[in-house]
Amino acid sequence: MVVMAGSIDDERLVRQFSQGDDSAFDRIVEGYSADIGRLASRLLGWPGDVDDVVQDIFFAVFLGLKKFRGDCSLKTWLFTITVNKCRRYRYGRMLRLRAISKAGDNIAHTAGCDRGESAMDSEAFDRVRRAVVALPAKYREAVVLRYLQDLSTDEVSRILSISENALQVRLSRARRRLKQELAELMEP
Amino acid sequence: MAEDKIRNLLQKADEMAGEPVGIPAGLAAVVRQRARHRRFVNSAGLITAAAVLVIAAGLWYSTTRTARTRPEQKRIAALEGQIQELQARTDATLNLIREVLEDERHQSRLDGLEAELASIRDPLEEVRRQVDRTAFILIYEADQMYRDRSQRGAAIQAYKRVIGLFPENRWAEEARQKLSEIEKRKTRKLDSKGELL
Repeated sequence: MVVMAGSIDDERLVRQFSQGDDSAFDRIVEGYSADIGRLASRLLGWPGDVDDVVQDIFFAVFLGLKKFRGDCSLKTWLFTITVNKCRRYRYGRMLRLRAISKAGDNIAHTAGCDRGESAMDSEAFDRVRRAVVALPAKYREAVVLRYLQDLSTDEVSRILSISENALQVRLSRARRRLKQELAELMEP
Repeated sequence: MAEDKIRNLLQKADEMAGEPVGIPAGLAAVVRQRARHRRFVNSAGLITAAAVLVIAAGLWYSTTRTARTRPEQKRIAALEGQIQELQARTDATLNLIREVLEDERHQSRLDGLEAELASIRDPLEEVRRQVDRTAFILIYEADQMYRDRSQRGAAIQAYKRVIGLFPENRWAEEARQKLSEIEKRKTRKLDSKGELL
């Protein structure tokens, strides 16, 4: 997933975009849209349909890319924007209503398709999803970025603008909560 | 250990959720279009704001200018009032002149008529003149007859006729004097005859 970013010469793309080359933005979207979509989906509790939020994220990227100073990697910057957008999006009334109405269908549909291959049944998935969604945003973000996006603690702390110690605390508390909620599923 | 279990559980759930749907193929184009739209809206907003400012400035300037020209307008209104008053006075004078001219025309016509009337002779005077003339002619004929010795009786009758017909006329007085003189002459003749006798 993250490997794709490595193949892109981010600095060159940002420079080209700053010089007015819109095709650079096309390549950034092409290179990162899948990662961004996946992260957004995980942060929002796997709602299935994340086109609106992904479009909002890339819209913010388009408007702010010229101001990108290169203090961190482009991927980290994009993920920071994604986290912020998802935070806002989650608290938006429209998304909550949409999540309520669509999540069930999408999840049921997705779960139905993959049930044969997956090691988890839909009931277990639903419990995990509810447990993740029920986590406070700051814990959920840490869990998603660290365990699902497989980012290093350094990258996660940069994205969340917190220290590594604070990240460790959040991860620890998030694990404790998930353990309480999902104890039955974790037993061997 | 617990961390690994949780990680494992979450990753299984993530696998179960599958790939998110709904990321459009032309996402970059959509985003660019959206940015262009936003830029257009912003520009339109700026243009609208500028237009509103210009209109507001225009209104403000117009209001200020109106306030500034108010004294001038008052003066103009006063002058207009004076002009109207002068116009009314001029009209009144013209009407008066017209009336005077009309009166003069009437007076002139009246004078003409009076002159015409004055040129007509008085009928009484005419009658009087005719009477006078008739009396004069009668007196003249009587005088002519009196000079003729044979017609002195007729002359005396003619003098008497004048006195009878026109007693108030001056020729009647003349006739009386003539008759008186004739009478005196007769008396003198008789007196002379008596003395002779």
